[in-house]
Amino acid sequence: MTGIQSNMKTMREIINQNRVTLCLTCGKCSSVCPITRWENREYISPRLLVEKAASGEDDQIFNDLLFWSCITCGQCTELCPSDVDFCGFIRDMRVLARKENLTGACTHGDAIQTWARIMTDPELKQNRIGWVNDDLKISDKSDTIYFTGCLPYYDIMFRDLGSESIKVAQSAIKILNKTGIEPYVMKNERCCGHDQIWEGDVKTFKALAELNIDQFKSIGAKRIITTCPECAYTIKYDYPKSVGEYGMEVMHITEYMAEQVSKGKIDFVNDQEKQTVTYHDPCRLGRSMGVYDAPRKVLRELGYHTVEMKKNRSAGLCCGTSCWTSCGKTNKKIQTERLGQAKETEAEMLVTACIKCQVHFKCAQKDKMLENEIGIQIHDLTILAAERLKS
Amino acid sequence: METGSIIVFTCNWDAYSGLETAGAKRHSYQPEIIPIKLMCLGRISTGIILKVFERGADGVFLIGCPKDECKYYFGNKHAKTIVAEAQELLTLLGYSSGRLKMDSIAAGEGDKFTEKVRDFAEGLSKISEGV
Ligand code: SF4
Ligand code: SF4
Repeated sequence: MTGIQSNMKTMREIINQNRVTLCLTCGKCSSVCPITRWENREYISPRLLVEKAASGEDDQIFNDLLFWSCITCGQCTELCPSDVDFCGFIRDMRVLARKENLTGACTHGDAIQTWARIMTDPELKQNRIGWVNDDLKISDKSDTIYFTGCLPYYDIMFRDLGSESIKVAQSAIKILNKTGIEPYVMKNERCCGHDQIWEGDVKTFKALAELNIDQFKSIGAKRIITTCPECAYTIKYDYPKSVGEYGMEVMHITEYMAEQVSKGKIDFVNDQEKQTVTYHDPCRLGRSMGVYDAPRKVLRELGYHTVEMKKNRSAGLCCGTSCWTSCGKTNKKIQTERLGQAKETEAEMLVTACIKCQVHFKCAQKDKMLENEIGIQIHDLTILAAERLKS
Repeated sequence: METGSIIVFTCNWDAYSGLETAGAKRHSYQPEIIPIKLMCLGRISTGIILKVFERGADGVFLIGCPKDECKYYFGNKHAKTIVAEAQELLTLLGYSSGRLKMDSIAAGEGDKFTEKVRDFAEGLSKISEGV
């Protein structure tokens, strides 16, 4: 085993590898950190935590309020002039914290983390592809795997919010079918392990990743397409680094659609009246994977008039929560801030390309007192695209 | 908790009084059954139910007060929603639906308590035998 997931790194190694000691104390990270901006219990900031780490106050790190409330959005890392990877530092340090039985506060009663742990059972036989209806074509002999992620599970868990979970998966298959692909859908796919690795639970992460990689290899496909940016990032970057190679290209559906558009292999009906929409960059798709243009290209192709929020692309604000952990009033303020930015554009619709972003925004919108500030329609790009496929 | 346990959540009111009556009458039931008293079934959550299965339980049975007789008015209604949600998730995970169940008894119904938990446990052994 190589990399951070070997669990063998010491605190000093983590500090050095993430270049924490190079901090110039310029404070740029703290100026963009949404947690610093909205946490009102006490002043916390990435710069302060970096200083603690750099000056050897190791025992203070795990107790810092930012340690578990950091949403790993990567804005600090993106902006640091001295190349300090604060976000990476948090991720690696959480592995050490876990060893001392420290964790973030679970949200949703730990249900989501629990089903992920249940999925580490090699004998598990799920019934997870009931959503594949007769209109959708899948195949056991395909060079493309459609990786569904936890969509069937979220569909149940967040039904009350009107989350579009299963419709996202169905739309992805429609789009793939239209471009001549009948994808392989794994009957026993496991959660990708994104939340586990970012929360320091490398044991569960590895078990999930190994079970998925075994299946990838036995299918022998060439490519994996996901609709969740976190699945795409985790499978593409973390699996090879910490578990093993599987020799397949990984792409998010927005990248696939943009590629098909360029090749002239997909056509959309775009005769609707130009609706103005604004696009929210999911952290893992944007800052982590650098995919900014593909979703915008697809939106244009669908005939939308797109307007940008005040904070967009690499400066885009996170949807407010990550890993179904430590969500609370600070997170709601970030969600409200982001939805407010969407509202300011006067767009009619906020488009996302990540189911978690959608769930988080729709959760914030439950607060009817904020209707005027944050009320805006929210839809997933994959669904919008599938609805406009030329027949 | 041992693998193969059967967790019976009771509320503190009618269901627990049924359990006490069963005890006073010296009823017996399968040794795998472990009752856990909650103040109200409304305390249950999807996460708790999933966690019980994660730890290897064979089944989860929730017994509360009869419909419309919840001492907190909405507790058993809330539990019903939660159990339905957990049931759907468990089905996706491949667990047979008979492994999670919710029921009710009236105060002091010791015989009914024993009968219901015994039936639940027997149902589970049929599931594991694949009948
Ligand atoms: S942005 Fe980088 S150099 Fe500046 S305070 Fe933050 S970690 Fe230090
Ligand atoms: S990753 Fe985001 S939330 Fe975490 S410290 Fe950096 S800017 Fe703040």
